[in-house]
Parts: sequence; structure tokens; C-alpha cells
Amino acid sequence: MMHCTLEDLLALRDNEGSSWAREHLDGCDVCRAELDAMYQRVARLKALPPLSPPRSRWPAIRNQVLATQARRRQRWMASGMAAAALLAGVLVLRPHQVTPAYAQELAQAKRQSASLEAELQSLDPDSRVESGRAAAMAAALEDQIAAVDAQLSGLEGGQPGIGQAAVDLWRDRVNLMQQLVDVHATNAAYVGL
Amino acid sequence: MSISLAVSDVLIARAKSGDLEALEALYRAFETPVYNLARRILRSPEDAEDVLQETFLEVVRSIGSFRGEGHLWGWIRQIAASKALMRIRRRQVRNEETFDEEFAGASAQPSVPIRVDLERALEKLTETSRAVVWLHDVEGYTHEEIAEMMGKTASFSKSQLARAHGKLRRMLGEERTAE
Repeated sequence: MMHCTLEDLLALRDNEGSSWAREHLDGCDVCRAELDAMYQRVARLKALPPLSPPRSRWPAIRNQVLATQARRRQRWMASGMAAAALLAGVLVLRPHQVTPAYAQELAQAKRQSASLEAELQSLDPDSRVESGRAAAMAAALEDQIAAVDAQLSGLEGGQPGIGQAAVDLWRDRVNLMQQLVDVHATNAAYVGL
Repeated sequence: MSISLAVSDVLIARAKSGDLEALEALYRAFETPVYNLARRILRSPEDAEDVLQETFLEVVRSIGSFRGEGHLWGWIRQIAASKALMRIRRRQVRNEETFDEEFAGASAQPSVPIRVDLERALEKLTETSRAVVWLHDVEGYTHEEIAEMMGKTASFSKSQLARAHGKLRRMLGEERTAE
């Protein structure tokens, strides 16, 4: 005797069974028992106890959320600073206040910083899962970068020695940015992306 | 599985504004169902943990777009299922998905039934079969919805479900008594 296949029984369960399968089921104890066993199997699947994560992932998620917020603030600040610097250059600063030697170093540090910003964006750390340790390191570095940015934005054009101070701060920023890129690049290599 | 997944509108509104305490409360409310879903689909507990983290990062990023149509759990579950299935697809691309343990080395005695409990039987299915049986039979997704998430056809989902039930039936010692 030909019986319903598993596909037939699954379709019957989902109210999609063929008329042959429906008619067969009415007169076949074997297939009715099979369908009943399927219902029981699914009921047992639904009754399996929930599996809980072995440890909380919230600290890592929190760190990444905070790091993302810091990055957004930092980008906002950087763009604000660039606009402010341009305005200051036009309205306030005079060429003699930044010596040519400093000006060259300053321009180089800014170029390096911009290049590292671009590299960081290409790694797209916001969309990747990071270990809690990597996220914590990144968050700490971003805090330090934000502190440097705050000092840079506090520099006043008329102060003596501003050129050297700006160069030193931009170098600090480049150094911190390089470390931040390394943290995210290492993580990207680790997760195989 | 019966867990209360009710979340107040006030909590959702706070989470939408980026309130970390509210986001943590959401995480606490849904960490077990999300992990459970991922773990039932994926073989590795570590992968399931990563899906848990990826899911909540996505929740944090996208909760502003949740319009309150339907239950929040339905929205979060969709994200979690997509993330878990994405892992399976990545592995398939790399040809890393493992064969059913049930049939590994079983060619010599293919008809010998293996009696194991349901939890263990589920573990022994391929991730694709587990995903289909869990999403369809437990979570209530349709074959069309599963097919869309997997990038396959509804027929593929149906045949995977039949295969999965066939294997579960055999491993649970529930073979037909007569043909």
C-alpha cells in the first residue's frame, strides 16, 4: 500500500495537502499515526527549555555604543574645527604667527591625520563585532583623541608659541589615530573580514 | 518556551532617544530569546553569542526605525534570524558547513536507527536543516519568509523541513512500523 510521504504529511499539517493525501489519511492508520507523531515532535521542540547565553554581552555592546557616540562627536568636532581654522586663517591669523618650519610640520601632521581618518572609515568599525577588550581599547583611545581635539580647538591665534603647540598636538593626534586604526585593523583580521 | 516579552512603550521611546539604561533593559529582556534562537540554529555557542551581540548592535542602530507596528520581539527576532542565517550563508560560500553527524560514517549500516533525545537529535542536524525546522515549526515563519531570508526558494525550505523531520524521526527511533 502506498503511504503519504513526509512532504505530504507536512503539507497536510500546513493545510496545503493534496486531495489524494487527505483521502488517504482518512483511511490509513499508519499515516495518521505518523502525522500524530509529527505533531508530538513539534510540540516537544516547542517545549525545549530556553538556552541562556553563558555570559552577558552587554559590556561589549555598551562599549561599542559609547565608542560610536564618541566617534560621531569627534567627527562633528573635527569638521567644526576645520571650519573654525579656515575662518581664523582668513580673519585672524597672520602668516608670521606660524613660522614656515612649523607650518610645514603642521601641514604634514594634518595630512597624516586625515589619511588615518579615511583608513579608519574604510575599516567601518561601527558595523563589526569586536571583542570587549578591543572595544574598551578603542573607547579609551577615542577619549584621548577627543581630549586632544578639545585642546586644539582651545588654541588661540594670538598666543606666543602657538605654532609649536599646535604641531605637538597634531602629532599626538596622529599617534593616537594610528593606534586606533591598529586596534580595529587587528580585530578585522581576527574576525576574517 | 514561554518568556514574558512585553516591553512598555515608554521604554522603547527612551531606547529610541539613545538612553543607555533603556537599551540595557531591552538587552536584558531579550538576551535569552535571541541567544536561544541563534543557538538552536547554529552549532557553535560562540557563533550564537556573536549573533546576540550583532543583533543588539543592530537594534541600537535601527531602533529609531521601529514604528511600533507589531511586537518588538517580532522585529528583534527578524534581525536575529537574519544574522544567524547570514552566518550559515557565509559558511556555505566557503564550503564550511558540516554534514549531518547522523550520517557521518553511517554508510556501512544506513538502516540502523539511532535513538537519542530530541535536544541531541536537533544538534546533529545541519545548520540549514536546523534553521528551517526551528524557524518554521517553532517560531512560525512560513516557507516563503524562510526562503526570502535564506535567499532560496520556498520549495527548498519545504524539502529541507521534510529532510529534517526524516532525520529527527530516525534518530528518535520513531520510524514507521509498517509501509
